[in-house]
Amino acid sequence: MSMKQIICRIEKCLGCRSCELACAVEHSQSKRPVDAMHEPVFPKPRIRVELIDEKGGAHRYRTLALQCRHCEDAPCAQACISGGICKDENTGDVRINPEKCVACWSCIMVCPFGAIVKHEGLHRAMKCDHCPDRETPACVDACPTDALIYCERDKIKIGDFIL
Amino acid sequence: MNILIIGNSAAGTAAIEAIRRYDQKSFIIQLSDEPHPLYSRCLLSYYLSDAISKKALQYRDTDFHEKMQVQLHVGQRAVELDTNQQQVMCNDGSVYPFDRLLISTGSSAKLPDNIPKGIEGVCVLRTIDDVEIIRKKVKQAKNAVVLGGGLIGMKAACALSECGLEIKVVVRSNRVLSQMIDTEASQFYIKRLLESKIEVLKQTDVSEIQSKKNKLMAVKTDQGQVIPCELLIVAKGVQPNTELIQGTDIKKRRGIETNPFMQTSHKNIFAAGDVAETFDITTEEYAVNALWTCAVQQGRIAGLNMIDKTSAYDGTIGMNSLNVCGLPLISYGITSPKNESTYQILVLEKRESAIYKKIVLKDHRIKGIILLGKIDNAGVLLSLIQRKADVSSFEDELLSDQFNFSKLVGYSDPSVFEKYQKC
Repeated sequence: MSMKQIICRIEKCLGCRSCELACAVEHSQSKRPVDAMHEPVFPKPRIRVELIDEKGGAHRYRTLALQCRHCEDAPCAQACISGGICKDENTGDVRINPEKCVACWSCIMVCPFGAIVKHEGLHRAMKCDHCPDRETPACVDACPTDALIYCERDKIKIGDFIL
Repeated sequence: MNILIIGNSAAGTAAIEAIRRYDQKSFIIQLSDEPHPLYSRCLLSYYLSDAISKKALQYRDTDFHEKMQVQLHVGQRAVELDTNQQQVMCNDGSVYPFDRLLISTGSSAKLPDNIPKGIEGVCVLRTIDDVEIIRKKVKQAKNAVVLGGGLIGMKAACALSECGLEIKVVVRSNRVLSQMIDTEASQFYIKRLLESKIEVLKQTDVSEIQSKKNKLMAVKTDQGQVIPCELLIVAKGVQPNTELIQGTDIKKRRGIETNPFMQTSHKNIFAAGDVAETFDITTEEYAVNALWTCAVQQGRIAGLNMIDKTSAYDGTIGMNSLNVCGLPLISYGITSPKNESTYQILVLEKRESAIYKKIVLKDHRIKGIILLGKIDNAGVLLSLIQRKADVSSFEDELLSDQFNFSKLVGYSDPSVFEKYQKC
């Protein structure tokens, strides 16, 4: 398996939040938008469109579709007291085992990106899992401007990103 | 190379994982004085209240040591260290030579002098064995006293309360979690505890244990109050297990002294976790930060340096996350500075929704944080402490619920964003 990463090309991100909707639906029981809305545990996205800045500068309303980076030395995996967050050595993905999560929020304490959030309904930590049932994560497929891409980790070059 | 690791918890495990990432050849032996396989100490209070099963205490898969090619010897207490011969002797007389040694012996619960040992019902909460004793006792008990308002005290009190016991927490200071939070945040907590029928007796200490036929009957406080109880949990903090280095030339203050490579004063001997003293980034002093996350970080650094993969530790930051009684709390660093005038303090308080946030700054750099009730994006703030970032251009945004990583990208240099993409 190749090690892949989701990249958000800020210059293309409209902030339309299509990725959030697609993510929530993908992680619902039914995986259908209409039914997902009525599920007892309301599906929540693991990707979040954040506003970079709202005042001054040449680009006025730049947005970032933020999700877990599946870090090399993941701070969340180090902080997890139950051993419920582990890096998959084959895929490079950092996974939360919901069975082991005790909702102590130690992962939220250390994630430098704020990419892990509380799932209030399930009382569990949750974050991007790169959609294990799909070839390409739902957010990437849903992005209308191709701001989100799913690419090999080692092909990512610093300097490719325009802020 | 012969690698010897003493201790089978956070630091020891992290060291093994770090070593095996690069080195499949070295021979690793791990000693543990506890008879149990690897488990997570931090989960004990969850097991106490039956929130999780005993099996869920397990920190790694059952075949972890096999997969990592580690010879684990449980129930073996290392009692003597010969730094010249580079060998360790155990209580059963067995001798283990080493090329590199990691001392990750952890810490033990402190027991005040006025608390007699061996009384049924007087317990600490540190090991699986401790919890099993408490669990048995809980079934017959109605009232429990928790001595100490620290993290373990709070977790124990809430777990016992969930078991249906009447709880009184006895604390010497005028607040709970005094290492973690300030007086204001403590008041929020005490109020919430009371709603869960946990009463906190402030500025009080246990002065006497009353027992009958070696069974705990009541505790008497220094305020003269007699509290009948069948269970007393002593949670007065922990002390580093440094017995092993007694009589050696390895330097210690409160814990074993370490350099940024987690090396002790002996170049082939490393220390990590609750037993080690490390540089604290926020206080700028050497300290023992007996915390799971810190132990993992230190164990990892020690492991890498033990196989000569040079890696330096940036230093610890005291940090804790506690989520009991439905009140999430995360804190970092210096939260109630002694000399307040040299610090700048930002506070946001919403009493009706039980939200309290505080940021302690010195020279425009964050030295401490309390996030109570609302903990989203906590780690983003932590990253500012770690980077010793100058926050003067966005100080007024720090307490806002809208403060997040992207805001930081907007305010910082492009390197922050590059790290995010390339992480």
